[in-house]
Amino acid sequence: MRRKTPYLLLAPGGAWLAAFYVVPALSMLSVSLQRGSLERGYRFAWRWQTYTEVLGTHHTQFTRSLVYGVFVTALCLAIGYPLAYAIAFRGGRWKNALLFAIILPFFVSFVIRTLSWRFILADQGFVLGPLKSLGLLPHGFHVLGTPAAVIGGLVYNFLPFMVLPLYVSLEKLDHSVLDAAHDLYSNRWSAFRHVTFPLSLPGILAGSLLTFIPAAGDYINASLLGGPNTTMIGNVIQREYLTNTNYPQASALSLILMVAILAMVGLYVRLLGPEELTG
Amino acid sequence: MNDLALTTSITRRELLRLSAVAGAAGLLASCGVSAPKKTRASVAPLPPKTGALSVANWPLYIDADVKTKGHPTVEQFQRETGTAVRYKEAIDDTETFFGTLREPLAAGKPTGWDIAVLSDWILARMIRLDYVEPLHLDAIPNFTANAAAAYKNPSYDPGSAHSIPWQAGITGIAYNPKLTGRAIDSVADLFDPAFRGKVGMFSEMLDSMCLTLLLLGVEPARATQADAKAARDKIAAQRKAGIVRNFYGQEYGDALANGDLALTIAWSGDIFQLQESNPELRFVVPKEGGILWTDTMIIPKGAANIAEAHAWMNFYYRPEIAARVTESVQYVSTVPASRAIILADAEARPAERAALQRLANSDLLYPDDASLARLHRYPGLSEDDEKAWNQMFQEATQG
Repeated sequence: MRRKTPYLLLAPGGAWLAAFYVVPALSMLSVSLQRGSLERGYRFAWRWQTYTEVLGTHHTQFTRSLVYGVFVTALCLAIGYPLAYAIAFRGGRWKNALLFAIILPFFVSFVIRTLSWRFILADQGFVLGPLKSLGLLPHGFHVLGTPAAVIGGLVYNFLPFMVLPLYVSLEKLDHSVLDAAHDLYSNRWSAFRHVTFPLSLPGILAGSLLTFIPAAGDYINASLLGGPNTTMIGNVIQREYLTNTNYPQASALSLILMVAILAMVGLYVRLLGPEELTG
Repeated sequence: MNDLALTTSITRRELLRLSAVAGAAGLLASCGVSAPKKTRASVAPLPPKTGALSVANWPLYIDADVKTKGHPTVEQFQRETGTAVRYKEAIDDTETFFGTLREPLAAGKPTGWDIAVLSDWILARMIRLDYVEPLHLDAIPNFTANAAAAYKNPSYDPGSAHSIPWQAGITGIAYNPKLTGRAIDSVADLFDPAFRGKVGMFSEMLDSMCLTLLLLGVEPARATQADAKAARDKIAAQRKAGIVRNFYGQEYGDALANGDLALTIAWSGDIFQLQESNPELRFVVPKEGGILWTDTMIIPKGAANIAEAHAWMNFYYRPEIAARVTESVQYVSTVPASRAIILADAEARPAERAALQRLANSDLLYPDDASLARLHRYPGLSEDDEKAWNQMFQEATQG
């Protein structure tokens, strides 16, 4: 009887996953193997060439999205780790206020937050304008439309996803372990390297997953802040689905993206050590 | 003993796994959507009135009273015909709305809308797919009497059998003379290396491709595959040379207003509104030609209130009602008689005199005959052509 309880507890979550993940994924797989068009109708035909065709046409955007994802995760880690460390170790009675400040942007819609970056990075805006009139920047210089703008927007949007798991993992660090390290003649840097950092790996892993997976598939930042040479795979999928009504191709691209991200995540988890996943 | 138990349970799990895969494979194979039937419905007499109407339109595309947040012409229609109108600004993007219509229509069910205002370029597809009710033009005499000839009988809908234009617009070139340094009058200026990094093009395939085709001397409605390829190559070269800053959607107006762009493809209504705060901006129909497009009213298949839908279409082709809408919306009216009414309103309402006169005298809203002669309609593309053109355009514009 005891063995049934875990399964019963999993049942609601499992049912939700089945209905909203498994069934749509299977449906997407089915659509990706169909042939036909909107007007001539679709027929299920085990058409595996769709996968090779879309990879052939869109491999640039695909690689670009994964590369951007890696950059964004690395930058978020570089910016987010010191931030989380400061709040966890030095926050004191300001911890809650600081955490609230990090979450505060989420009260505003994602699209509006990204649009505000378009305003900030405008060619003659309040950042670039004065720099240009002072002669520090050439007149034709622009940030919008470059990969830097897209990556910057992505880092801004996903930073809280990195900071919060890192904070949680650093906050529950047992300080007596650090004291023990100091007792054993380690200096601050050595203590960080040998004690704090390894113990925060679960947070780094969680934060990286929460940042990389959405960032690689994002299309809003490329659409609002990017230019003709920064197209990401999310834009391609949206276009194939909505503009071109190429449902099999769009589904194939989505599945390839899902598999690629799963593979990269699996590799990452392996590298960090599977026991770190549960901490 | 323990090991035996373990092996049995794993085998059972494997069996479950296998049957799940088999079930899934069966599910996959049973999927698929059948092709739509191509029936040519005969034009039956108008169905009886029902007293209700559902209209889907774009935001800010009808007259609006700022104080009451209502739409005076809608209220007038309701009073005169005794119809309960559900007017919703449900359309944000043609393709997305087409997606919401496609779902019920592909299954043969009604969409819940009696009138939808869709961009004209999608009509060829909708008519081919039999998603549109044919119209009873004798129930819309105001259209025949009051619409300008340019809006009747388009190539994608011969005889206007399925669609009536709501408002029209012009695709041309907008520029800031301070940044370009000279007057712009040709599509070739969009490809001029002198404006490197300051040119805007549209991500809307038809606008960009048709203007490029006009530059190459090709009439869009008669363009061949080879012509489309030539246009694609021209746009690709323009992007690779760094001349184009970006391929914009709706946001080109901001970029033009704040100086990111010196010149761009533009829609007349947007520039007219921008000129209020940025009077230096200019809009021109290029000498090779521009595009006259319409947003059209259609009745989706299976609509419940067809008689009321026809009454609505007829109502909005009364010159005074068309004038009210144009005063608010500031796009090209399809009823030339509305211009005189707007001028009369300018005299009757001295507080708004300057604004209304600017409207009536603007060649963005009431283009002169010389400009009208240079305007072309979108081609009515077949499905294969549409896909091919989209493919070519996307290759050219996305790196």
